[in-house]
Amino acid sequence: MALRPILEFPDPRLRTVAKPVTAFDAELKTLTEDMIETMYEAEGIGLAASQIDVHKRVLVIDVSEEKDSPQVFINPTFDILDQETQDYDEGCLSVPGFYETVSRPRRVLIKAQNVEGDAFEIDADGILAICIQHEIDHLDGKLFVDYISKLKRDRIRSKLEKAHRKSA
Amino acid sequence: MAAKGARAIAAKVLNTLQSGTSGSLGNLLDDYRDREDFSLIQELCFGTCRWFPALEFLLHKLLSKPLKAKDGDVRWLLLVGLYQLRELSIADYAAINESVEASRSLKKPWAAALVNAVLRNYLRRKDDLENELLSGGSAARHAHPQWLVDAIEKQYGYIAPDIFAGNNVRPPMTLRVNLNKCSREEYQEKLAEIGLLASAGQCADTALILNEPCHVDELFGFRDGWVSVQDEASQLVPSLLELKPGQRVVDACAAPGGKTAAILEREPELASVVAIDSSARRLSRVTENLTRLDMAVSSPDASSIRSDATVRLVAAKAEELDAWWDGAPIDRLLLDAPCSATGVIRRHPDIKVLRTPEDVAHCCESQATLLQSLWPCLAEGGLLLYTTCSVLAEENQNTLENFLNSTYNAKCVRIVADWGVECVAADGRSLGRQLLPTDAKGPDGFFFALLRKITSASKSE
Repeated sequence: MALRPILEFPDPRLRTVAKPVTAFDAELKTLTEDMIETMYEAEGIGLAASQIDVHKRVLVIDVSEEKDSPQVFINPTFDILDQETQDYDEGCLSVPGFYETVSRPRRVLIKAQNVEGDAFEIDADGILAICIQHEIDHLDGKLFVDYISKLKRDRIRSKLEKAHRKSA
Repeated sequence: MAAKGARAIAAKVLNTLQSGTSGSLGNLLDDYRDREDFSLIQELCFGTCRWFPALEFLLHKLLSKPLKAKDGDVRWLLLVGLYQLRELSIADYAAINESVEASRSLKKPWAAALVNAVLRNYLRRKDDLENELLSGGSAARHAHPQWLVDAIEKQYGYIAPDIFAGNNVRPPMTLRVNLNKCSREEYQEKLAEIGLLASAGQCADTALILNEPCHVDELFGFRDGWVSVQDEASQLVPSLLELKPGQRVVDACAAPGGKTAAILEREPELASVVAIDSSARRLSRVTENLTRLDMAVSSPDASSIRSDATVRLVAAKAEELDAWWDGAPIDRLLLDAPCSATGVIRRHPDIKVLRTPEDVAHCCESQATLLQSLWPCLAEGGLLLYTTCSVLAEENQNTLENFLNSTYNAKCVRIVADWGVECVAADGRSLGRQLLPTDAKGPDGFFFALLRKITSASKSE
């Protein structure tokens, strides 16, 4: 297993739309294992392959308190089950240190495949519903900062660019 | 996705709480109930409030210069950090690392070094600092705001330290068994069968005290009304009211409806019960509670009028009689008056952060107004039970004495009981009974006074 570097906003590669997974092979298994390790190391609760510059429709999520229940979602989609929205202060491993309130549908039906290619569904609410929508956005080249005002987004952009210059 | 950690949320919630405009800690925490780590967030917030005056003392010693007013969130993050280091079994390094991390998610990355330094300094100087706390002022030592320390010491003298200590423990989870379903002993056995141990209450014949708190869904028959969660003090209300079939009963400050329910459980054959509360939002809790107990309720918005409804809910100020009273005399009136809640600090430790002496004065005015306005509704020979969850004389025996002195047809009935202490006026008249929150497994701090309306004829007896 290996840690993979996480791309940070405003890196243009985060805007790539990921392609569906067709081969459920050893390479895919290694990718998901690396992603889980990278997510835990960064103390995240979810990671999309897009964030480590692999543009395949692959997500890993662990919303448990003990951080011992990783879930893998291949080719995930969701249907909205409840139009009512909930607000949550979202953060992102690709936008480190910033948290902004985003409204998303409260309850969704997640449809995805596991690492062997078997299809499954989860009726999700709470943090899992928020997290899956946040991560699927990544696969479509979207970030949570797209939901906030341009003023706030530009401020985050300039602060992160400054931090990147410092560490470069 | 990155989630904001429990410490950052606790700091944010407590900072909002202290700003004073957003209601109680319980309301503020409602936004986070869906989170996996909700129990930790709740523990951090309640615990930090519980020890707030002591933690502030320690923080003051640890900061070389005070924080700016706009950095209230950082101040609370430090207090939450100190609470963890003093009271929780979380490893020190984890508590410190998480607190440092939280300063970033509060968008105050500059505070990371400060948080790290203050918390490590506390660990290094712990023994000295804790000694200074013990020899410091009484507010820090007892972990109560100074005005309240002074008020309780003045009124209670040598018992005062027991009251402070009682307010600083986690409260028991107390159940009210619905005796229409089974006896208290039978329910206790049902709990034991599912591994929940409980002991009988000391004052109320319906009370069971759980050895360890649990989720209500674990309680046998909770959804079907076998049992409710209610402190033992509140469970004493029905027996004091001398309830009989056919009586007309009013609960003047009813939400969330625990006492209304207890009254109906004790005497299901009442003619009518009117449950009044000034907040329509809080009244919805009454509907929930009574519906779970399968009691017939008609709600204030007329959405569910039941012809068999015994309980009528009214969203109104109780003192505005036109809003709810049909003019027919009331046999039993419960006035659980708005108060400082200084008897239930162990359940609502945010009182230590929020309550001021001005609030107490304000409560006293409301109490006097409510007593005077409601008195005319009471039938001759009828009973009014005045209760508060306060331990302060000005809200209890003083309010009562003022009312009795100005009301010719009101007589305070002596409550004879083996719980609490009797409050007595200078002339020897009874002015009610006070429970103190000094026993960790016992009832909350609570005040009861039973008033009977006498006819002019019996006055002269």
